[in-house]
Amino acid sequence: MPQALPLVDKVQASQQLITAILDRIETVVLGKPNECRLALACLLAQGHLLIEDLPGMGKTTLAHVLATTLGLSYQRTQFTNDLLPADVVGFSIFDKETNRFALHQGPIFNQVVLADEINRASPKTQSALLEAMAEQQVSIDGITHELPSPFFVIATQNPLFHAGTYPLPESQLDRFMMRLSLGFPDLKAEREILLSTAQHTNESSHKGNTDFTAMIEQEELIAIQEAVTQVNVSNDVLDYIIALSQVSRRAYGGLDNVVKLPQGNIPDINCRPLSPRASKALLQAAKAMAFIDNRDYVMPDDVQAVFYVVCQHRLEMQPNQQIGASKFDVSSVANQILNCVDVLNPLGYS
Amino acid sequence: MNLFTKQTTRAPSNHLENSKHKINVSLTRKNAWLLWLCQCLNIAVIALELSSWMLAIISLSLVWQALLLHQNRDRSKTKQQNSYVVNSKQHSSDKIKKQQVGQVSPILLGMFAVLGCLALAVTAKEVGILTTMVQLLCFSYVLKAFEIKARSDFYQLILLGLFVLSSSLIFRQDLAFSFIVLSLLVINLAILLQYFSSESALVTNIKVVMLLLGQSILLASILFLVFPRLSPFWQVPKAKSNETGLSDTVKPGDIANLTRSTKLAFRADFGQQKVPEYSQLYWRAVVLENYDGRQWSKQKSDGIKTTNKIDSLAKKSLIFDAGTTGVNPLNYQVVVEPSFQKYLFALAPAVVTGDKSGIHAESDFTFISSRNISQAKSYQLTSYLTAPFSLELTQKSKQVNLKYPKGSNPRLESFAQQLQHDYVDVQARAQAVLMFINKENYEYTLQPPLLENNSLDQFFFETKSGFCAHYASAFTFLMRASGIPARMVTGYLGGEFNGDTAQEANPEGHMSIYQYDAHAWSEIWVVGRGWLRIDPTSAVDLERINSGWSSELLQEQSALNDDLLSLYQLKNTAWLNALRLQFDALDYQWTRWVIGFTTKQQYNLFNDLFGKMAAWKLATIIAVSLIVSITMLMLFLHLINRVKQKKIPLAKWQIFYHKALTQLAKQGIEKPTGMTVNDFAKQVREQSPELAIAFTRLSTSYNRLCYQTLTINEQAKIALTMQQQYQQLLHTLKQQQ
Repeated sequence: MPQALPLVDKVQASQQLITAILDRIETVVLGKPNECRLALACLLAQGHLLIEDLPGMGKTTLAHVLATTLGLSYQRTQFTNDLLPADVVGFSIFDKETNRFALHQGPIFNQVVLADEINRASPKTQSALLEAMAEQQVSIDGITHELPSPFFVIATQNPLFHAGTYPLPESQLDRFMMRLSLGFPDLKAEREILLSTAQHTNESSHKGNTDFTAMIEQEELIAIQEAVTQVNVSNDVLDYIIALSQVSRRAYGGLDNVVKLPQGNIPDINCRPLSPRASKALLQAAKAMAFIDNRDYVMPDDVQAVFYVVCQHRLEMQPNQQIGASKFDVSSVANQILNCVDVLNPLGYS
Repeated sequence: MNLFTKQTTRAPSNHLENSKHKINVSLTRKNAWLLWLCQCLNIAVIALELSSWMLAIISLSLVWQALLLHQNRDRSKTKQQNSYVVNSKQHSSDKIKKQQVGQVSPILLGMFAVLGCLALAVTAKEVGILTTMVQLLCFSYVLKAFEIKARSDFYQLILLGLFVLSSSLIFRQDLAFSFIVLSLLVINLAILLQYFSSESALVTNIKVVMLLLGQSILLASILFLVFPRLSPFWQVPKAKSNETGLSDTVKPGDIANLTRSTKLAFRADFGQQKVPEYSQLYWRAVVLENYDGRQWSKQKSDGIKTTNKIDSLAKKSLIFDAGTTGVNPLNYQVVVEPSFQKYLFALAPAVVTGDKSGIHAESDFTFISSRNISQAKSYQLTSYLTAPFSLELTQKSKQVNLKYPKGSNPRLESFAQQLQHDYVDVQARAQAVLMFINKENYEYTLQPPLLENNSLDQFFFETKSGFCAHYASAFTFLMRASGIPARMVTGYLGGEFNGDTAQEANPEGHMSIYQYDAHAWSEIWVVGRGWLRIDPTSAVDLERINSGWSSELLQEQSALNDDLLSLYQLKNTAWLNALRLQFDALDYQWTRWVIGFTTKQQYNLFNDLFGKMAAWKLATIIAVSLIVSITMLMLFLHLINRVKQKKIPLAKWQIFYHKALTQLAKQGIEKPTGMTVNDFAKQVREQSPELAIAFTRLSTSYNRLCYQTLTINEQAKIALTMQQQYQQLLHTLKQQQ
């Protein structure tokens, strides 16, 4: 029944659902509530997710549980260095019976594409994902094919110093809304992980546990995504986002003409500038965080919560070599930028 | 199940900061009307100086503009209705923009402009370059309003308006007028402000403008004192306005017209000296020596060279005269109102004691200015009231002062011959005439019957009623006809003392002499006594001579006068009169210190401040102060640029939060810049749990006000609670201590 609900009610109505989904994800990815929220936020904000960590940290598990709980069609592709673009997007094959070329759909024609160890594939194959991620469509033999909706790419990658990895091109990186790292679990979580694995072996129903039922209808998901875009953003928050991106552009002359930060002495931050796409992603992710947090308006807290994961991979000059680098990495470029913008008065009005 | 349906996107929350980056480019209808009204006012101020056809064109344009505005309203109304039908999106009514006032085709407008300019060019020679330029300015000001399309057009229009306003000061500079211009300036600026500020109430904007103007007073006064008055630029240009006051020809009926005017003619300041008696205050302006049977006119001077010679001669004789008789000198200052004539006023015989530049002394002991008086002019004089002057009469001037057209007034001539026969003594002869006038049934009136051909015979023997000019004419004629050198003098008699009369010994105040004090009298030349002043009016109306206008005369004058408040009413209502005198005193100070602050005064001021100094020093000071003021201006502009970024004032509730932050900082809990409000609240909870409750509440309210979409009511409510929360926090802080 089409009935225009105010945004506040929408947020509240879907709150239960979101809590349930989060709970489900957290039962699988133990001890990482924060990362789980961020990952969910990324999907609600219609962004693609890049999970970077060492092997065996639960990257694939997270991707898998996300896809299944949201009730989306899902296919995992293991990226290797001999993987070809056609292996990802699909190819045309001549059908003898119909005398026509028929499309053989690649794994990309799923709502969730899990690109495992994406940085092991050659840049050429990595780039095959570009069009799909940006336009939500692929072109095969000159014919454009729409991809299903909603469409997410969840990629995992190993840290770069690992053998046999290609760095993702910057353009590709920019298309991931977030880059998450899971990091090592704490003691308690690890104990639980060990215990749960033991249980699984006991029950020998390992498969049954991971094969989650969908918790949300597709229409609902789309509606929630729609509602997320409508979350209110006050001018202060907009100013805050603008100020953050301006600081990153300081070396490119962006800052001096536009903003005068009250501190005046911003430390020299060695970073790449944030593109407008980045600030858009930041805003969208912040909106999703606000939504998950049961609010119909964005606060700077939301922006700060997602800033590291949204911007760090776009900011850093060299890919971060540190294992398990997280939001709490004080020395990161993202945190430096966060520290120098006044939350109360981002653009330096007096 | 479909939880949500599509809803139109809500606009970003309408916080106070909503208009932060947005500037309304087009005028709302209210503002357009305000602008129009302002234009009308600006034009009205200068209207008197425009020629009538130009005024007609301008008012036509204004009416045209008003019509366009009116039409535009209808159009936007229909548009609004249409938009309601077509799509149901809400339009708030005040957002309806005034779309293109100037729906006039540019060709039509251009032709109009070209025609106007041509007409101006044609008449330029007659009215003079200044008036033409002023008219051109007004014309362009009115036409500009037709093509407000961009923001720059709006700027230009306001700027033109300011120019029109200031050019009106060329013609009048008295206090009341300056006040009007100032208030119009405020209105103009308020409209300019209205265009930018989110505040739509004009009153608020006017307040802001007054505040700003008040702040600029300091800079203005510094510039006023220091800015060099470079003579071609920094002076009121010589306007060719309507001449007021006395003229250099007088017909018997002339002065009466002048007395209908209540305009100020000049002021005299005697300082601490005792003001002479009313009947002594004969302010001489013009000496009329030529008589052609109809009117009296001024003897043309023979050129500068001879004037100079006479000048020095006259001075010599004067000094001699004063020395012998031992008359007390009377020093005073005269401030002449702009009359657009050259006559200056003095109590004869007088010498200029102060600055002599631009003042010529004539041989007949009158003074004239070297240029038309278009700006208040002041000079210092010393008079020797009872000292005789011109003891020797040159042959030439004796001839001139005895000349009269024979046979023009036969009855007077025969009367004169009889007088000459009866009285040998010159003074007795004059006295006899006065006696005659006094005894016979003569009447002193402002409405004398018309005379045929200005015949003095008719006046003296038939109508027997007239004004000072009649009596003076007739008397002078009689004297000449009876062989006594005589001449007619016009000027002013008396004046109004404004000040503290209680202190007889050293009164503080000044005399104000108005146009209705205009007077005409005679001077006869007597051997050994020089020129003697004889006022035949005294024989008719002694009150006029001793204390000014009698009440009958005043009544007569107010009957003739069209003014709302006539002089008679004014003088008979005590408080009104007091008010008038107060204002007059203010105006005097204004004229003396502000209008009269010329290069000389400036120089004197510098002398007083820094002692006597060389010109180069003065130049250095002026240059330095110029540089300083320009730097100040640049700094000001720079600040304005900065203010552009910083112009958003904090809301009250924001201030509460910031105050709370300072309080906490005193406690040693400082908020890092990059920390959000919530995170800081958490930090406070950890560091000082006693404050946690109050501060967390305050923080929550701040967050809601700052980031949540709220209705105005909700905003007000939360802002109020925030105040309480702040007070609570303060309370807790105090308890802690």
